[in-house]
Amino acid sequence: MNAPLLRARALTKRFGGLTAVADLDLEVHAGEILGVIGPNGAGKSTTFNMIAGATAPTAGSIDFDGAPIAGRPPHEIAARGIMRTFQHNQPFAGLSLAENVMVGMHTRFSAPLWKLIAGSRAAQRAERDARARAEALLDFVGLAEQRADDVGTLSFGQGRLLEIARGLAGEPRLMLFDEPAAGLTPAECERVAAIIRDIAARGIAVLLIEHDMRFLMALAERVAVLNFGRKIAEGAPAAVRADPAVLAAYLGSPAGDAHA
Amino acid sequence: MKGAALWIAAALALSAVAFVLGPYQTDIYRKLLLWITLALGYNFLFGISGQVAFSHFTFYGIGAYAIVILIFQAGLPLPLAAAAGVGLCVVLALAVAIPATRLDGFYLALATLAFAQLFVVVLNEGGAVTGGTGGLASYRLPPLFGARLDGPRYTVVIVLLLLATLAVLWRLDRSHFGRACRAVRDNPEAAAAMGIDVRRTRIAAYAITSALAGIAGMVYAFVDNTVNPPIFGLENAFLLLFMVIVGGSGSHAGAIVGAALLYLLPFVLSPLIGHHHALVFGVVMVLVVLFQPRGLVGLADARARRRAAP
Repeated sequence: MNAPLLRARALTKRFGGLTAVADLDLEVHAGEILGVIGPNGAGKSTTFNMIAGATAPTAGSIDFDGAPIAGRPPHEIAARGIMRTFQHNQPFAGLSLAENVMVGMHTRFSAPLWKLIAGSRAAQRAERDARARAEALLDFVGLAEQRADDVGTLSFGQGRLLEIARGLAGEPRLMLFDEPAAGLTPAECERVAAIIRDIAARGIAVLLIEHDMRFLMALAERVAVLNFGRKIAEGAPAAVRADPAVLAAYLGSPAGDAHA
Repeated sequence: MKGAALWIAAALALSAVAFVLGPYQTDIYRKLLLWITLALGYNFLFGISGQVAFSHFTFYGIGAYAIVILIFQAGLPLPLAAAAGVGLCVVLALAVAIPATRLDGFYLALATLAFAQLFVVVLNEGGAVTGGTGGLASYRLPPLFGARLDGPRYTVVIVLLLLATLAVLWRLDRSHFGRACRAVRDNPEAAAAMGIDVRRTRIAAYAITSALAGIAGMVYAFVDNTVNPPIFGLENAFLLLFMVIVGGSGSHAGAIVGAALLYLLPFVLSPLIGHHHALVFGVVMVLVVLFQPRGLVGLADARARRRAAP
């Protein structure tokens, strides 16, 4: 297999005396969907935040496309081609849907401020192209009809779709999904799963952390299971599901049953 | 070019007014234009970029004092003094914004409040350089490239200042930079995840709007041909904030409406109720904040939408 796009080695995060993530190794390849699951407090979100740059790891390394990114700020990580969605939708409330998506393209604009002030033709063209691309992306996630609406009028599920369109706008090579199924109706889950498959089919690497077992098992090609900050299993969904350590830690628990 | 024609028409119309006004109305008209210019810049900083800063009027004062001191005490020619004045505003803006934006937004409010107070202290204690409490007076605008700009011609300069300020802010607002400013205002965490350098965006918006305020201040210096400390106190800084909020923060039209309304209101109210107009200001402010946080422009938008929806 060729070199992974994202490679985390011995990733560790300690908050004071608490070790949230310990010695974690993760790899994601282009076009692959890697799912990370685990009970509450297993370190999923911390892992996610370290990759996205929201928190710096205490130890260990994260390489993206061969370059070290551990501890870099989120805007720099986004510029390198890692975009994310939020578990609790985080739209820009004062912007239209299309403008929300265009914010996701921020790193693709290159005109310096003086050129914007001077009214450069190239900058104006870039702006028009961006708007057209934003509308195409809204189309892709199925929000074309809501294009002109206020962000505040969207349902929770539509807000999630907007998050996905906004993330894709940055032309990511790795897309991070933070519990994309959380709070969605079954129909909306289907829709999001189809979109994620579509994204991976375009050659974009996908890493998603998820609570909802059924959603994740049907979607991921590979699953890593965390428990108390450590990886206790990794492999194809079916193999992981049968792993005794996983059953004991997660699937066997009442919370696991509720989702399975 | 329909857009360019519109700008030229606005410049001609606003300039034409200058040639029919008497001395008293000219003074009011010039200051109205300057207040609108300031409110447009402050709207970009406060309404669009979401930064609660109280230093905008201070940079207006820095520009005004700088140009007078640089021309009449340092002996610099006008264009050089203007360039140096802009440079000074940018340097001071960076000196305030770089440390303040490292912290939470609250500290920018505190830092700029302190900066505004410090400026007045420096003016009062500045001895011969700033003229102390009496300020600087009895100077005249030197001829620019041989032309003497006075009377209605100077009013035209102010019209051009306003339109140039609006053009700069308009273009920035309708670019990825303006979108980044609004995104940072609405949700800094999500903005950073989209690749926006939150601090740099805030610092750039602060420096640009502060420089624009400084340029407006330079133009103001030759309106009254006197600069003195009381003008640049906090009272006017808060008036500017009220203008933007009442008009509708985040909107260029709102800034224009708010500035015009609050600047002209005392002229209408004073003959009727004397100094009690401040009370009317206060009541209007409270009503807007409580019932129409998007300001008068928001009110008009809501009405238009209601009419559009059957």
